[in-house]
Order: sequence, then C-alpha cells, then structure tokens
Amino acid sequence: MDPGEGSSKTISSWREETIQLGNTVLLRLPTGDTRSVKVEKDSTVSLGRVGSFSSNELVGQPYGLTYEIVEKGLQVLPPHTLQEVEDTEATNELINDGEFVQPLTLEEIEALKKSGVHANEIIKKQIEMHANYSLKTEYSKEKYKKHLRYAKSFSTVEPTIHNVCEYWFNKDQSRIRDLRIDTLSQLLHLGNIRPGGRYIVVDDASGLVVAAILDRLGGDGRLLTICDVDSAPAYPILTHMNFKKDKVSAVMSSLNWATAEEDYISLAPSAEPPSGQFKSERQKQRLSKRKLVLDSLSDTRSELFSGEFDGLIVASEYEPFSIVEKLSAYLGGSASIVVQSPHAQILADLQSKMRSSSQYLGPMVTESWLRRYQVLPGRTHPFMNMTGSGGFLLHAIKVYDDPSASSVLAFRQPKSKKAKVPGDPLPVDEFPSASGDAHSSSLNESREAASNEPSTKHDTDAPMA
Amino acid sequence: MWSSARTIAAGDLVIVWLTRDLIQPLYITPGKEFNSKFGVYRHADLVGVPYGSKVGSRNGRGFIHLLRPTPELWTVALPHRTQILYLADIAFITSWLDIKSGSRVIEAGTGSGSFTHSTARTIGPSGHLWSYEFHEARYNKAREEFGQHGMQDIVSITHRNVCKEGFTVEDTVDSVFLDLPAPWDAVEHAKQALRKDRLTRICCFSPCMEQVLRTVSALNDAGFTEITMYETLLRPQDISQVPPLQTISEASERLRECEKKREEKRIKQIADARSRGGKRKRDGNEDEAGGEGTEPGATQEEDGLESKRAKTEEDPSSGLSISDVVVATTNPEQGSSSSSSANLHIRSPPPSMTKISLSKTFPEVRGHTSYLTFACLLPAFARAAASQANSGEVDRLEEGGDGVTAGLKGEGIGSDSLSVSMEVDVS
Repeated sequence: MDPGEGSSKTISSWREETIQLGNTVLLRLPTGDTRSVKVEKDSTVSLGRVGSFSSNELVGQPYGLTYEIVEKGLQVLPPHTLQEVEDTEATNELINDGEFVQPLTLEEIEALKKSGVHANEIIKKQIEMHANYSLKTEYSKEKYKKHLRYAKSFSTVEPTIHNVCEYWFNKDQSRIRDLRIDTLSQLLHLGNIRPGGRYIVVDDASGLVVAAILDRLGGDGRLLTICDVDSAPAYPILTHMNFKKDKVSAVMSSLNWATAEEDYISLAPSAEPPSGQFKSERQKQRLSKRKLVLDSLSDTRSELFSGEFDGLIVASEYEPFSIVEKLSAYLGGSASIVVQSPHAQILADLQSKMRSSSQYLGPMVTESWLRRYQVLPGRTHPFMNMTGSGGFLLHAIKVYDDPSASSVLAFRQPKSKKAKVPGDPLPVDEFPSASGDAHSSSLNESREAASNEPSTKHDTDAPMA
Repeated sequence: MWSSARTIAAGDLVIVWLTRDLIQPLYITPGKEFNSKFGVYRHADLVGVPYGSKVGSRNGRGFIHLLRPTPELWTVALPHRTQILYLADIAFITSWLDIKSGSRVIEAGTGSGSFTHSTARTIGPSGHLWSYEFHEARYNKAREEFGQHGMQDIVSITHRNVCKEGFTVEDTVDSVFLDLPAPWDAVEHAKQALRKDRLTRICCFSPCMEQVLRTVSALNDAGFTEITMYETLLRPQDISQVPPLQTISEASERLRECEKKREEKRIKQIADARSRGGKRKRDGNEDEAGGEGTEPGATQEEDGLESKRAKTEEDPSSGLSISDVVVATTNPEQGSSSSSSANLHIRSPPPSMTKISLSKTFPEVRGHTSYLTFACLLPAFARAAASQANSGEVDRLEEGGDGVTAGLKGEGIGSDSLSVSMEVDVS
C-alpha cells in the first residue's frame, strides 16, 4: 500500500459530502424525471404520485441512494442493477395489446390505496389476476416487476456539474444556451481551467459556466464575470451546486459592461460625508457601507485592467467579436479564448473576424456529438432519441504579435501547397493575384496573417490543432 | 506542473506552434539551437521572451509562436507512444467521473500520458493521481516525463499489471479510469481501491463492443450500478468566407448576355468574311457554315472566363473583353457597350459588399474513438443494506411465485407489457 500520499480522506470542503439543511437537492423519480427540492428543516417534501416524506430524513445522507417512501419515512432500497435474465421460450407471439391490459383499473387502484392497502398487496393482487403473466418473456416480466417495485421510490442525485448540467439541459436547454455536458466539458478543458487559475467569464447561460468553473477551481483561483445587469448577476444554477457562499464570494467578483469600460466614471454619490464629518451614526453606517461597495468595485476594475488573466470563457447572447476584442486585452500571452454558441453561423463569423487579427492564434470551431447507449445483456443499442446539438465552440490562443518578425507580406504563400515551402518569404509582387483564383486566395492570405500556412487543410485527427 | 511565469526561462517546456498541423514540444536549453523548415532559433534567445510571443527566425525563413504548455497542446504535440485519448473523450470522462480540484483518481494504463496530464492539471496540488503502466519502456518514459513536467507530487506512477496484481491503494480514491485491453479483469481490484464512505465512479475505455459487454457484465457482478455507455466525438468545422450567393436572375442575365455576344460575334464574322471579298467567297461560305456548328462552344468558353474576371475585378470597365470593344466600335448605334457594362455592374458585387461566413463539417472526420462505459459504486453501508434487502426479496419471490413487491403507476403497466386479447380469453 501507499502510506505516504493521500492517506487522509478529507477533500476540499468546497462542496458538501452529504446532504445538509438548506441544500437544493435533485431527486430522480421512477419516471426518469428529475425534481429539484430544497431541504428545509421540519418540512414535507411532496413528490406527487410517488408520495411525500419529511425533509429531515435526507439530512446527513450521502448522495446516490435510492429510497422507498414508507409512511413519510425513507427506507434505503437495493440499487438498480442489471438483471441477468435468461430468455425463455416465451415470446410475445400470443400477446396482443387489448382492453384487458391492466387487471385493475386506475380507479380501483386508487380506491385500494385510499383504503390503506399496502402497495405490495395491490401488486400481488394485480399479478394474480393476470392469467397470461406466464406468457411473458423473462425480460418483460423483469421489466414489469422492476417497474412496479420502484414506483414509490426515488434516488438522490449528487450535484456534480455533469448531473446539474444534464438536469438543466433536460429541463430547459434554451436557458443554458444549449450547452450540453459534453460541450461544457470540452469548454473547461480548452479553457485550461485548473485550481489557482484566473479567468474572465461572460455567462448568459444562467450561470452554468460559472458553476462549472467554480467547481473546478475548488476555492483556489479567481473568477471575474462580466454581466449585463447593474446589480450582482443572478446565476440560478449556482444554487444546485450547493457551494459555500462565503467561499464563492472570495473567488468570484463581477463587473457589468459599463463598469468594465476603462473610461467609466461612477455617478454614484460619494461615500464621504458632504460636510467632512459624519452627522450621525446612521449616516456613518450608511456611508461606510457605500464605501465598501465602491471600493470593491474599484478593486475589481483595477484587477481586470491590470490584466494577465489565464483565459476568457464566453457563453453570451451578445455579439461575440465585440466581447473578444474588448476582453482579450486583459489576457496574458498564450491564454485560451473559448466562445460557445448554439449557432454555427455566429462562430463562423467570429472565426473569420479573428483570423484577420494577428493576436489570435489558430481559431478553430468544433461541434460536439454525443450518443448514449442502453446497456442490457443481449440488448445493447443506442438510445432511440438523441439530443440534436450540444452547441458549438470556438477556441483560439491569445498571442503577442511581433510586426518585425511577422511582416505579413514576407510570409505569404500561395494557396497551392506545391508552389512554395510554407513559411518561405514570398514578395507580394510574386503573388499570382491575376489568376482566376485570385479572389479566394488573396482572401486566404489576409486571414492567415497569424499563421505560417493557410489553414484550408485541418488535421481532423487532432482537433486541438 | 509547468511554468506559470509570464516569461520563458531556461529549462521550461515550451510548445512551438509552427503551423496548425505542426506543433512540437521544446525544452529550453541555452546553447542549443532549434532548427525547422521555418528557420533557426537559438534557445538562449528565447529565454526572457513572454509566453505567447511570435518570434522571427534568425535566418529570415519564417516565424514561430512560443506557447505555454497545456495538457491539450501537449496531447497534440507529444510523440505518440500509444493510441491516445483525445480531447472530447478526456473531457467527457473527467466530468462524468466528477474529477475536480482535490480529487483522488486511479488511472490504468498510463499509455502516453495524455489523460495523466489532463487529470493532473484538473485535480491540482490538493488532489492525487495513481497511474499504472505494465509496459516497462512506456513506464520509464512516462515517469521521466512526469518528472520533467514537475508532476511528481501530484502523480505516482507504478510499473505493474493491475489485472493480475491490483492497485497500490485501498479504500482511497474517488474514481477509477481503466484504459486496458481487458478492463473486466481489473474491476474487482478497482472496487477495493474505491472509497467506501461515499458514492464513487468508474469509467472503462474500450474501442470494441465485445469489450464493453464483458465489462458491463463484470461491473454488474461486482455490484456497480447506473451502468451506462456513451460515445462522444468532436467535429471540426470548416469555415470559409464567400461573396453572397448569386440569385438566379443574375444567372439568367449572364446567359442572355452570352447569347447576345455570340450572336454579335457571328454577325461580325459574317461581315468579316463578306469584306474579304470575291476571290475567297466560296471558302468564306464554308467558314460561315462551319462557324455556326463549332463557334458557340468556343465563345461560351471565352464568355465563361470573361464573366469570372468580371466578378473578381472591381472596375467593371476592365472586365470588357476585346470583342466587346470591337462590337461597340463597329456597331455604335446598338449601344451594346453601355448595356454590357451596366450588366457587369449587376454581376460583380461592389467592393464594399460584405462576404458571408459559411461553416460545414469536414468531409472526413474521426468517426469513433472508443466506447465510454460508466458506472457508480454506492457507499459500503448502502450496498450491505441492498444485498440484505435483495436476498430477502429473492426468498419472497420464490415463496410467492409471482408475488412481486411493488408500487403503483397507472400508465405504462399496459401497452407493451401484460396484455390479454379478447380472442384468447374467449377461447
């Protein structure tokens, strides 16, 4: 065994290990739907048809368990496992869908439930009444049993960024700008998000990007967000992450598009007493509170303007080139720029604009693709439905241009790869601008100012490249 | 792990970006030279240069960009020793396994270290990664590399076949990532290494479906739950800028113009032939007859070139071909010159006209890397409770025959499940 490293099990207390009072918890219901519930002291959580239970029951529980609701209390249920079921001779040959699908009608079941009969009894009754149960294949019997078994149960879902993203994507994907989990994961990697890093983020995706980055930072690093409201931005998704509030405010600060301007002058009244002296204790308190706000604003602004950030991450409804132009000034050399959009056109335009500037290296647009499979013995196949698109990403690297080294004209090459070794100096006069292809190749040249080679060919094996 | 200083220092690993398809790692060693088809660079000259700088070569043969290494850049720059995991897979695995600052993770095998670098970056100094490689040469190379990259505090690498010998830690890690030819042989060992006090996660990376099926069955036998499988890809988009697409009325205009010119040319040829006079009159007639058969093709070609030129050049008047001018001078009363230049105006977009950006997927993209099989392992106490409940359940099932425990749900019990047809009942 490895006695040395990592013998202690305490990991960062950034996110709670167990469910606490005040947490917002995701519950997965038997239907597959996920419900968001706030765990408040001594209250009742109602899950509709599944039942209701006392919220205190969840406190201190680890995530991921499945519970059956028994008289407002919770009992841990065995986890869903794949059932190894051998197929029998039974087929669905003699089974037709008909009126006698369910031996007990819904009304009868409700009546039984009201009369206090336990669910198990009802099910037993139902199956007894089912003459053709033996005609079913083992698999569909299993499906039937499991289906019934878990009808009054639910599972808690750990608020990992994966689960939270999936929950919001299924709930309302437009509110998170179609940012599917695979795209979000790529965004975090392309943005080189690491503990201790300093990032500028523009998040109009309900705070999903902010939540993901805060989660990865684990309380160490800096996150400066720029928003379009004049109060503190509402990032509703942060509630689902259950971060500790004081820890978040130590890592994250926000500016808006006005306060992020270098020539912005606050119209807010001064925090100094007009007479030079505080007239009352109340005034003193009020003004010192105001001073705190103004100081913090001024600190955040100077932090932005002093620059050298490690990355710029954008998922915004605003015109992306204006954002990139404005904020890339505050990035350090070799910093990552990642822009997400649900629309390829937006990023195509952005890429075209960025290629004409020599401070962005290798802008590249990618689309992510994700397919989930049902895995069951003998019945493994992709799910019938898949999400259409998880959005597009543009990634580029901020670089410092050196006009003397980079004399754009000196390193132009023709579009044809055979004509010259890429990178060779080629006087502009030699460029065959009169050829029939002049139009498109001169276009290429100006776009490729920052690169040694026209990027008409991409290495699809290495998407980063 | 890697320099976070603003400028490059001796001993740093720098990623040299020559072109999009040519990215190389470079350890800065003053005294050495970096030679490439884009020129010669002295390492000593690169010391003190800010990361992200464009640097011109000493012999004027080109320039390079000096980038700060990231796991993603390292992945595309590294000398491939095994099939490496690409960005889309690594990123997805990281989020599913909930790898973040402070996580404790196991990886087997190390391979070329692509996942190792990415994970070391993500977990940071408060986390730890145990990496296992059974191939000795690869193990030595990887260990050396992790040392060079300052990762030795975050990553412990062990030379071992984990399928046979298991892992070096027990009840310790939050997640396990298996990239092995036979991951099912390591599943039980992984279970031992995972923490027992909370929900933990595993991912198995296999290119073939047969491997997935064996893995799924091993995971199920070992008590893992929520077994699921994904495939993910990243599709690069090919972006180009083109003038706005032409309308069919422009095409129609061009075709009419072609026809008009052809007709004018034919008339002119007849006129020329006539003017050559008596002696060659018979030959001229033959020319005329032949001309009607062969000329159109040739003129069309010429027109094609001409209209192409007209589109690309800004000055419409320069788009006029010699034949246009000749026609114009010989038949001034027809006003063909002015009308054709007016048409050219329509055809060539004014220089101020904005281009449109188009995006499409490249014709050939990576279609498959591997299947990502995921599963969860519940805390030990929940598993114990579960197995008790399960055994109780089995007894009950055996006693009562079809006596199944349950809850109730109105919809779904019908349709595809148990149903009885009228006919069967009656008969």
